[in-house]
This record gives sequence, structure tokens and C-alpha cells, in this order.
Amino acid sequence: MTITRRDLIKAGMAAGTAISMPSILRAQTLPDDARTVRMVMTDLKIVDPTLSIADVTYMHGLAVYDTLFAFDSKLVPQPQMVGKWGLSEDKKTYTFQLRDGLQFHDGSSVSAADCVASIRRWWQADAGGKLIMERSSDITKKDEKTFTIALKEPLGILIDLMAGGTNFLPIMREKDADRPATEQVTSNIGSGPFRWNEGLVRPGASFTYDRNEKYLPRQEPADGLAGGKVVKVDRVEWQVITDQQTALAALQAGETDFILEPAADFYPAIENDPNLELQALNTSGSDLYLRMNFLQPPFNNVKARQAMLYLIDQEAFLRVMAPDPRFAHPVTSIFGNSTPYSNDENTGWYKKGGDPERAKQLLQEAGYAGEKIFIFQITDWAAASNAALLLADTLRKIGVNVELGAMSFGEFTTRRANKGPVEDGGWSIFISDWSDYNLRDPIGTSFLFANGDKAWWGWPKSDEYEALRAKWVGAETLQERQALARKMQGVWWDFVGAVMLGQIVQPTAHRKALKGLIEVPHSRFPMWNMQKASS
Amino acid sequence: MAFYIMRRLVSVIAVMAVVGIFIFLLLRLAPGDPAAIMAGRDATAEMIADIRERLGLNEPLPVQFVHWSLGILGGDFGTSIFTGRPVLELMSQRLEPTLSLSILTMIFSVTVGVAFGILAAWRTGGLIDRLLTAFSALGYSVPVFVIGYFLIYFFAMRTQWLPVQGYKPIESGLGPWFVHLILPTVALGLGFIAFIARVTRASMLEVLSEDYMRTAAAKGASSYAMLVHHALKNASVPILTVIGISFAYMIGGVVLTETVFNIPGIGRLVVDAINNRDYPIIQSVLILTSGLYVLINLTVDLAYTLIDPRIRY
Amino acid sequence: MTLLSTVKTAAPAPVRLSSFARLARRHPLVLIGGGLLALLIVLALAAPLYAGDPGNMDPFKRLQPPSVEMWFGSDNLGRDVFARTIFGARISLSVGLLSAAFAAVAGLLIGILAGYNRTFDNIVMRVMDGLMSIPTILLAIALISLTGPGIGILIVAIAIPETPAVARLVRSVVLSVRERPYVEAALCGGARLPKVLWRHILPSTIPALMVQSATVCASAILTEAGLSFLGVGVPPEIPSWGNMIANSRLYLAIAPLTIFAPGICLAVTVLAVNLLGDGLRDMFDPRAKRRR
Repeated sequence: MTITRRDLIKAGMAAGTAISMPSILRAQTLPDDARTVRMVMTDLKIVDPTLSIADVTYMHGLAVYDTLFAFDSKLVPQPQMVGKWGLSEDKKTYTFQLRDGLQFHDGSSVSAADCVASIRRWWQADAGGKLIMERSSDITKKDEKTFTIALKEPLGILIDLMAGGTNFLPIMREKDADRPATEQVTSNIGSGPFRWNEGLVRPGASFTYDRNEKYLPRQEPADGLAGGKVVKVDRVEWQVITDQQTALAALQAGETDFILEPAADFYPAIENDPNLELQALNTSGSDLYLRMNFLQPPFNNVKARQAMLYLIDQEAFLRVMAPDPRFAHPVTSIFGNSTPYSNDENTGWYKKGGDPERAKQLLQEAGYAGEKIFIFQITDWAAASNAALLLADTLRKIGVNVELGAMSFGEFTTRRANKGPVEDGGWSIFISDWSDYNLRDPIGTSFLFANGDKAWWGWPKSDEYEALRAKWVGAETLQERQALARKMQGVWWDFVGAVMLGQIVQPTAHRKALKGLIEVPHSRFPMWNMQKASS
Repeated sequence: MAFYIMRRLVSVIAVMAVVGIFIFLLLRLAPGDPAAIMAGRDATAEMIADIRERLGLNEPLPVQFVHWSLGILGGDFGTSIFTGRPVLELMSQRLEPTLSLSILTMIFSVTVGVAFGILAAWRTGGLIDRLLTAFSALGYSVPVFVIGYFLIYFFAMRTQWLPVQGYKPIESGLGPWFVHLILPTVALGLGFIAFIARVTRASMLEVLSEDYMRTAAAKGASSYAMLVHHALKNASVPILTVIGISFAYMIGGVVLTETVFNIPGIGRLVVDAINNRDYPIIQSVLILTSGLYVLINLTVDLAYTLIDPRIRY
Repeated sequence: MTLLSTVKTAAPAPVRLSSFARLARRHPLVLIGGGLLALLIVLALAAPLYAGDPGNMDPFKRLQPPSVEMWFGSDNLGRDVFARTIFGARISLSVGLLSAAFAAVAGLLIGILAGYNRTFDNIVMRVMDGLMSIPTILLAIALISLTGPGIGILIVAIAIPETPAVARLVRSVVLSVRERPYVEAALCGGARLPKVLWRHILPSTIPALMVQSATVCASAILTEAGLSFLGVGVPPEIPSWGNMIANSRLYLAIAPLTIFAPGICLAVTVLAVNLLGDGLRDMFDPRAKRRR
């Protein structure tokens, strides 16, 4: 049979249609607009919250998975999936009982075995979880809905650690959780208030969450990340629009309802638009800092590190990282600006405009003789990249020989692990950020460790500081911890474990019709409770 | 003739093999670790090493190459390191915007370019000719991203006539789809128009000065018949070459245009993949675009034999 | 008529002046393009003398409109746009010219060898074909990702995709020239191959090579700008027209000069090179005379 031209054309059209099938599917399943919220988020690259601590992965986790405990707006841990829990007389055994009606998205009930497996996986990855792992003797299920954690000695902050570590503690099905923490979970089946819509996934472009009708929220009102998770929309669609201009245009046109991180230079345009508003959901923001390499010259010398402390003009840095002064504040405490342990011990070095003369003098005292220092410039993160440029410029003005290494975030993480000298591919300074809220926890937050090789990148070392930090776990009351925090900070600013560059609050931009967004003191906020008023 | 086709096919295979090895080696030797990127900002060294192991990034290079080549030949372009999804799926999702832009630009450039070139050749030395020369010099001197921002500023921002950026898929209506593609097509197409118009003009001029054109005129052929039937057909060999080359060069321009206008196509996909060191995507896109280029060249070569009976191998 | 006046009228006019005037009249493009390019090179070389400091950041003077201190205003980090634009010329021109030179030399060598040696021709031309089929920008990006950013690498990475075209061109010239009688005659007369290459073959390639080099230079400047625009070219702290444009994308509405200043300079520079190339082509193409 001869193939006619018409057949070829028909085949071609069919092939073309097949390839564009997913987009046609999308057209047919668009639900009513008032019950769908569209949000411009950063790209969701990893869907496994144990594997990655990216904010957007965390928020994905909050949507799809439920947790045993959660922090309320006052940072007090509240039970979520747990119905009742108890502590034994000797304070060494915790018993948890799940509340009724908890179901995974595939219909199976949540059991204690799922919880145990999930915890076992989580504690391999999370700093606080590791502490629990070391201190525990056993974790077992007692019956379908109950499980226990038995400790070798009391650990007062166990509930806090489980409620909110650096790594989210999602409760997954046992078969998903039963794998090492480094192996990615891709099933996205949780028991949370949203269901992941696998069919509408377009990596790098959009992700969709549908309301889980079978979810049984708690009775209490929503409070922070705790309380009843009532979903008031049918669908939430995350769009990845990397170009800020396009995102803003979409927001203004109503094609999207929410932008997670609008560019600061657009705030005036947003505020002048009667349909839009800026809202800081993450009220405590994040602190940008620079960390120095303690193992290599020049920053192995404490005077050189102190020089950096005097050099930084936080106002200038804030201008290039977050130009709107309403959302940018200097930060002088290692415990951030918004935590209960924030204090002003030993902060005499802080001077408006910085003190480059003093810095230069300190560098001389440290014996700096013009050696090259290497500063990372992470090109795919604007705030850090701009800060690095300013840092290089500031250092060069006092005669320091700076090499700026421009690279993507991925290459940076590789090179950062190199402990060697600059000539051998090592580094001297890197800039990054940490959630201000997480700085309340010197046990779970590796930024605040100073145990040399085991500490976080930069490897700061101070035995005096570590001795104080070791007392944190034993401190029973808030006042004791606050006093301890003052002492710790006093030591920190003497040996300078890291230098703060400023605190930035990143407001979101959204249409006024979108209401009920929950403000939480960290950069991961939940999608329940929000709704669209028809406007 | 068949012999010629055979020889061309053999050389195509040889070229693709070279390209394959080159692309594979290029990326495997590059620094930067996809495993580290996957793990996120505060991951530990052990977590990263574990991920590397599981992704098979620690196997010897020749083994990785063999796996990869066999996969490609079987239609399996591998799985994105990052998202865990098949590369083919990712590419097909991004295909519509890129194809829309490329095809529209091709149609626009060829139509306007050839027309312009014919006009300039016909009225050589006149106003149109001078305009064309000036325009084409400018056309391929200004880079596409500069033209792009100019167009956006004057036609979208200042005047609100056209959308600033972005892409609307066809199913949301032909109108929005087309309107969003106007500025990108013009930006990308200007360079090609300049190129095509020039070559058309040059080629037409050569042909127009041939003896047989004078014969046709003497026989009383109309201007139209002379231009199109006699001149264009004879002039078309270089023009076709240029069209073929343009289609192949388009991918470079597409990458830049998609970035300027924020069109979620394959160009952006590959630039993002390069930043993430997502090898399977980078390799697949490079192989496919090279394959496309080679295929187009082959088609153009074969088309020559159809158009110009004098070309025989 | 006095003897003096006879001598005056009989004396030939100064050769240089009249041949220069002749050049200007017949090949205006070479003059305009070449002249403009020369001017740009001089301006770029002299930059440190007059342009100011391109790297100096003043965070409290972000996005200022043009003023007496900063003729083009400041960018989002408080840097002087005028200074950066002028210094950007240094990068674009040096990368463009050096890449073109690199590609020209490499292409010349490869082309001559390919024209003379069958096996070399077969192998190397396949590789050249392969290289040509990978889109330039993607190939350059892939090459750069091998070693990380750096101007030297950039030049090589841009030159490599351009080399095959030059090699092909040289090769075809060599193939056609080597059959010519004077080449055979020289070889019969006992001249050794290298000498023949140098005296007879090489000069024949020069005109085509010059024209092609101009094209390559224009293309190299555009490629560098494109790569820097995508963020994989010159390191971001070094001002390049491409990365200035990329850096200022957000500010098109707020401070358009930050994009248009480097953009216009880029266009003018490439235009100059293209005009020069066109002029050279017209100059060397014997058929061009017919159309005048």
C-alpha cells in the first residue's frame, strides 16, 4: 500500500497532538477560578523534605505531609497528629498516641509503624534529630496507634526538636520511609491537607496541589503552623517564573495571585497598584552573614576575623541586598533579632558606616601581608552575589588582595568542602543566609556550633564557647537559657565565629483578594486557611 | 544518485558519532557536582557522596558512555538528575513554545527576507536597495537581546500595545498565543531577515545579469515571470542553503530570545540544566540539535539535486 | 610655458594621497568600518585615562539618573554606568579580536594541512563537521563549563566553534590553488613544499581569510556578549556589555540607560566590524566591479 501524502500529514498531526497532550489535559481540568489560587514560587527541584532543606521543598512538605507536632505562632510546640502523649516518671520514656481519622492519600490509615519509620529516617538527616538518635535507646510501636521513644537520659527539648528542626519531619508511609535519608522519596503520598497532583507536574514550570477532602483538621483554630489545617480552596497551582518582570506583569494582570519573592525595586509599583499588596508573611526574615575559613590564613588569626567585624557597614550591605529600608535591619546578636534569646552582649564593635580604619589596623596586627583571599560569589542568588561584590570592593579599598570566585550554587557547595589553602582550591569567605527564627536553637542550628572540624562550613573553634553551649540542653528555664545566651554571645564576638551582614524580611506580593495567609516567623508558611474573596 | 545518498548517510553517521563522543566527554569532565546541588544548601559531605553513588556518577567513564549511547539509540534519553523525570518528557513539555517561536520566525524571516532581496535586486541602486543594505548591516550587528529590550521598552512598556513578556500556549486561544509571540519573533527574525535578504539580493543579481534573462526579456516575458519563474528558480540554490543554515543557527538565537522574553522553551531548559549540571538534559538537547542540523543539511543537499538538475554527484 | 611649470605639471602627484582618495571613493565601507573600529579601539585603550572607576560601588547612590559625576547614571549597585560601558569595550574588543585571531590562525593551519594531506583531511574534516553542527552558543557554554570562568578560556571557547568555517574556507582555496600551473612549476623547479606553501599558497588565502576574519570577529563579539548575558561568559565583576545588560534586566522600566548604553555600543561596534568585512569582500571580489 502506498503511503499517500495525506496519510503522512495525518500521522504528523496525530504525533503533534500526542506530544502536546499534557497541555490539552490542563485545559480540560481547569476548575472554577475563585477556588483556585496561583502562586509564583521558586522552582521545586526536590520533593523530598528530608533530602533538601530548601524553603520551597519545606512548603511542599507542609502541604502534602502531616506532622506529629508543630509550632504555633509563639513558637510553642503543639500536638498535631498526636492525640495524647505522656512522659514517664523518670522522664526517659515518651509515649505518643495518634488521633483518629488520619489517612494517607492512597486511603490507608496512618499507623504507629509509619511514624516510627518516618522518625528513623528523619533523624539521620536533622541535627536535632541526630541528637535524639544518639540519646535514645529504643523507638518502637506499641499498637496500631501508639509508639514510644525510650531515652538513655532525659532530653527536655525532645518535643521542640520534633516539632521544628532544620529538616522537616514528614510522616510518610512505612514503605516510603523505609530507606536511607539520602535516597529520594518520589511518591509524594502523605496524609496532609493537600494532595499532590502527579498528572499536572511540569518540572521547572508548574506544580499543582488539590484539596484533600478526606483530611480531618483539628478543632483548634489555626495558629502558626499548628491548630486546625482547614483548606479553603480547591486547588493551588505553583508557577515557576524566574524573570521578575514577567512575574510582576502576571500579578498585575491577575494571571497569578501571589509572588513569593518579588524584587525589592518593584515594591513601589506593587504598593501603588490598588489591587495588590505587600505582606511580610515571614516576620522574622533571614540573616545574611559571612563565614571565614578558620583553618587557613589569614582568618585563622583572631585579629583578622575581628577586622572583618569592624569593617562591615551593615547599612551599605543591606542597601545592595534589600534596597527597601522598611524590610532591612541591622542585626548584632548571634541569636537573631526576633528570637527570645536576642541580646546585646559585647556588641560595642557595631558602628554605623563601619570602621575601615580599625579594620585595616587589625589586619596589620594580624600580620596580613597582601596574600590573596578567595570570596565566593554565588551568581544565581542575587542578594548574596551583590553582597559579595560589595565585600570585595570594601576589602580592596583597605588594601586587601581579593579574588572573587563567580560560580553557581552547585559549584560553590563543592568547593566549600575544600579545607585546603586558597592556592589548592580552598576558600577564605563565603556569604549565605540563615532563617532568623532558627537562630533561637544553638543545639539544632549548626550555624551556632564552634567545635572545629565538626562544626558547619568555616569550622569555627572555641572550646570556651562550646563548654557554654553544652550547658544549653541542661538549662531548665527560659531565664537560665537567656543568661547562658548572653555569655555565649560575649565569647562569640571575641573569637568571631561568623560576621552578620544584616537581617532581611522578604515580603510577599499578592492580590488583595487573596486573604487569610498565615504569618509565621520563618520562611516556610502554610497554604491552608487562605482563600480568595471574589473581587 | 543512490550512491550519493549512501555516502552522505555514512558521513552523517560518522559526524554524529564524533558529536556524541565530544558532547559526552565535555560534560563528564566539567567541574561542579549535581549531587551537591540536589542536596541543598546545608547538606553534609556524606549525604552528597551517597547521592553521587546512587546516581551512578562514580562508574568509569567508558561504562557511562556506553550506557548513554545505547540509551539514546533506543530512544531513552535518560532521566533528569534533578527532578527524576524522563528527559524526553521534559523536552516534549517545552517543545511547543520553542517550535512556535522557531517556525513563526522562520516564516517571517523567509517571507520578508526573500521579498526584500528580490525587490532590492530588481531596483538595484535605487532607494530600496540602499535601504536594504543599511538595514541588513544593522540587522545582523545588533544582538537579539538588545533588539528585544528595545522592542519591549517601546512597544510594551511605554505604550502598552503588546505584552511585556511571557508565553501563552495555543490552547488558551490563537489570539493571545500570537500576540505574545509578535515581539519575540520580530526580535529573533531581524537578524535572519538581514542575512536572507542579502543573499537573495546577491544571488538574484548574479542571475539577472545572465544572458538568458536578456533572452527572456526579449521574448516579452513580464516582470513577474522574469523575476519569479526565471530568476528566482535559478537563484534559489544559495537561498536554500542560507535558509537551511538559518534554521540551524536558530537554536542559539532561541536560547537568548527565550531568556529575554521569558518563554519556557527548550532553550531555557538547557541553560537551566547547565547551571544545575543536569547532564542528561544537556547531552540530550545538544545531541538533538546537532542531529537536527545535520538532518537539515542533508535535506538541503538532497533538495539541490531536485532543483538543479545540473548538480549530480 | 616656463620650465618650472612644465616640471610641476609633469611631476607625479604624491602617490599615497591619491591612492588613499581612490580607496575612499571606491571602497567607502572599508574606510568607515575600519575607521570606526580604530576609533573604538583607541577609546577603549585610553579608558583608564578618562573613564573613571568601573568597579567602585556606592550603595547609597543606586539607580541614579545621569548627572555631572556619572554621565550615564548609576546601576543597581551604585556603579558608574559610563565607566563600565567604556571598560566593557575593552573586554568586547579584546575577546572579539583575539578570538578571531585564534580562529584565523588555527583555521589557516588546519585548512592548509587538510588541503595537502588526504588522511588528515578525512579525519579532521569530519571533526570540523561535527563541531559545526553543534550550535555555537551551546558549544561555547559547554566548553566553558569544563574549566570555569576566565577570559583566556572564554577566548578559546569562542574561537573553537568559529574555527571550522575558517578551516573549510582555507581548505577550499588551497585545493583550488594547488592545481594551478605556477605551483606545479615551482615544485618541478625543485622548490620544497614548505616554501611553496609560504610563497604561493599562503598569499592566495589571505584575501578570503581577511574577509572571513572580519565575520568571525563580529560573531565572536556577539557570542561573548550573548554568553555574558546568559551569565556564563566574563566573570560578573568584570564589566562586559553582555553582563551589564543581564544585570540590569529588572530595571528596564526604572533605569533604561543601564541597558541601552551597553546595547547601543555593542551594536555600533559589531556594525563597524561588519562594514569593514563587507568592504573587504567588495574590495577583493573581482566581480563586484561589474555591479558599480
